Amino acid sequence: MQAELIKPMSEDFADYLRDESRSIGHAEHIAFPHSEEEIVAALRACYQQGEKITVQGARTGLAAAAVPYGGCIINMSRMNRVTAMRHENGTYYLTLQPGVVLSELKKMIGSKKFDTADWDEDAKQAYVDFCKDGEFFFSPDPTETSATIGGMVCCNASGARSYHYGATRPHIHRVRMALADGRIISAERGKGRANGYDAVFTCEDGSQVSAKVPSYRMPHTKNASGYYAEKDMELIDLLISSDGTLGVMTEIEVTLLPQPQIIWGVSLLFENEQSSLEFVDQMRRTVEGVASVEFFDTGALDVLREQKRKSTAFSALPVIEPFVTTVVYVELHCDTEEQAQQRLFAVGEAFTKAGGKEENSWVARNQSDLDRLMFFRHAVPESVNMLIDQRKQKDPTITKLGADMSVPNEHLFDVVKLYRATLKENNLESATWGHVGNNHLHVNVLPNNAEEYNRAKELFKTWAAKVTEMGGAVSAEHGVGKLKAAFLTIMYGEKHIDEMRALKRAFDPKWLLGVGNLFSEKEGI
Amino acid sequence: MKILVCVKQVPSTNEVRLDPVTKTIIRDGRQAVINPFDTYAIEEAVRLKEKHGGTVCAISMGIPATERLLRDAMARGVDQSILLTDRAFAGADTLATSYALSLGAKQVGDFDLIICGKMAVDGDTAQIGPELSAQLGIPYVTDVCEILESSEEKLRCKKITDHGFAEVEIKLPALITVSKDINMPRLPSISGVRFSLQAPFRVYTAAEVGADVNRCGLSGSPTQVVKSFTPDRTHQATHLNGTTSENADAVLKIFEEVR
Repeated sequence: MQAELIKPMSEDFADYLRDESRSIGHAEHIAFPHSEEEIVAALRACYQQGEKITVQGARTGLAAAAVPYGGCIINMSRMNRVTAMRHENGTYYLTLQPGVVLSELKKMIGSKKFDTADWDEDAKQAYVDFCKDGEFFFSPDPTETSATIGGMVCCNASGARSYHYGATRPHIHRVRMALADGRIISAERGKGRANGYDAVFTCEDGSQVSAKVPSYRMPHTKNASGYYAEKDMELIDLLISSDGTLGVMTEIEVTLLPQPQIIWGVSLLFENEQSSLEFVDQMRRTVEGVASVEFFDTGALDVLREQKRKSTAFSALPVIEPFVTTVVYVELHCDTEEQAQQRLFAVGEAFTKAGGKEENSWVARNQSDLDRLMFFRHAVPESVNMLIDQRKQKDPTITKLGADMSVPNEHLFDVVKLYRATLKENNLESATWGHVGNNHLHVNVLPNNAEEYNRAKELFKTWAAKVTEMGGAVSAEHGVGKLKAAFLTIMYGEKHIDEMRALKRAFDPKWLLGVGNLFSEKEGI
Repeated sequence: MKILVCVKQVPSTNEVRLDPVTKTIIRDGRQAVINPFDTYAIEEAVRLKEKHGGTVCAISMGIPATERLLRDAMARGVDQSILLTDRAFAGADTLATSYALSLGAKQVGDFDLIICGKMAVDGDTAQIGPELSAQLGIPYVTDVCEILESSEEKLRCKKITDHGFAEVEIKLPALITVSKDINMPRLPSISGVRFSLQAPFRVYTAAEVGADVNRCGLSGSPTQVVKSFTPDRTHQATHLNGTTSENADAVLKIFEEVR
């Protein structure tokens, strides 16, 4: 079975050496397990040989966590089934294999269509209830909907709506994980906590894994930087956002939320960036029911204007008048239409107070209008990627450089000032968008050549230090992976990185899993 | 320029779901929407108003809840709207509907132009525009994809034909139906939404527009629906999950089976 399961690498599998970060790795073997048994078999084989293991979902990550640095790739794309549903105290839970793709999951939940042939009787009964019940949804919404649920859990992915609903973490109820030696652990929300900083997992074979929770204090911001660590923490949180370094997830149970009755969106068109930040600051304090607050700066809007001019595929984009320098999108989730109206007008008042004019806004109150505003949002990163691909043809060494840092609310103005001043000093072109409600902007440098690319890389390191000083996180949602490992050291310092190393060693003493992710095995490597 | 726009409420075309046990359609109360083609009609009317001055009035025949959609049209630049609502109008085919709309149009008085979407996505007949023009005795052009020239007296339109395009000049008052190539409808603004809540909105019953009840609703509808059914779906998709060469083998095998 193992020879069938673990295949030698060949040209056929070349795609599996890279991910969306456009980094390229190397590997000797690859396995596509279909079940937990096969995952365990692959792990045991690697463990015996001392072969490194890199776990992959859909390879949509931007931090190269799924790019192998040698050894065997375990690719989860064949484990893409929803295996059960549970209905307890009015809440629905879905049991997923880690390779389930988010867009597919959303489609299944939205249309209430699941392949229930292999489900047990309890799950089938829960499904009958589910179909008769109202609307539900899985709230994490990373822009890249071809991500897998396993990948999302590994980096604690989020998205626009995490402003209101939180990142992936709170929506994960239970996780089963195979360790490098093939033992199985599981953790469930509400069951099992660390005792102070001592975490003990009992494996299915009765053996135990004891680990020390690192002693750093996590930033009070959106955060996907390294292990979750807190005194008396829930054990499940140690496994979420572990970036493929502690084990291989074999099963994930997610929680569904009732779909809000009314979803409205509004894009506000600003003449200057400062007003847009004042609006965000004001609106956060005065408007309820806000699910997301998104931002697009002049650089991003210019890329879109150019795209709309050049390509008919983007003709559905609304016309962005020349006076507009910044757009802020606000999504409202409400119980009734009256409530939505009140909140929309409250947004309008905050907009006016910040110097905006209500006629300079786009309101979406039905699905097709919401889809248009969503298209606008998604067109930004897509257009920037196309632009970079064009420039890459001239200089293949360059790639997009995107920041993923967040700071606490009180530093929103400071961090934007920092980005603007240093980009100008370094004479770098950029396009910025992202989750301004969480003070989490994706500043994307658009280098024209290798020299600019390297200058931008150095600049990002200085930002990591400044953002840390502001009490922020060096990665808010993409995860650290391999590309941001240096930032994690800047954020926590070597002492705490050593604590993380010790934690990993407790789970993976041979240091086989996710090698290169988060930190190196030894300092300075 | 005084412009009338016809608007129809249609069901939102989200996926229809079946109860896994009873196999009946789950009616989840998803909200109705403005017929998508009518949104282009609204936008074109508002653009003409912005160019020539004047007013745009939206008109619909439907249930009282249609008010919500007419107010949405007013958030997008329409100045006022009329709703024809009465039990007597229920069950109307296109003939009875165009009759009712023509009476509503007469309430508005001396209009210059009526714009309709080229068809409704629920009935797909594309008959209302031409029938309404006949009821009112004015000329019409269907499937307009661009207004090349406009004045208070006439329009020069580009229309889609089976074999390409045709340019048609039409004297006002007239009626046109528009295709979705004609424009990109705007989104309402917050101030537009505020206006729509206060904007003039009038409801008429059959008696108030002086309708002959024998020409309204079911009794005024010669169309007979003999049978309606869901067509069988014969397409099937197979997902290939293997490596490139495994997938290539699988595709070849399928070709052979089909041959």
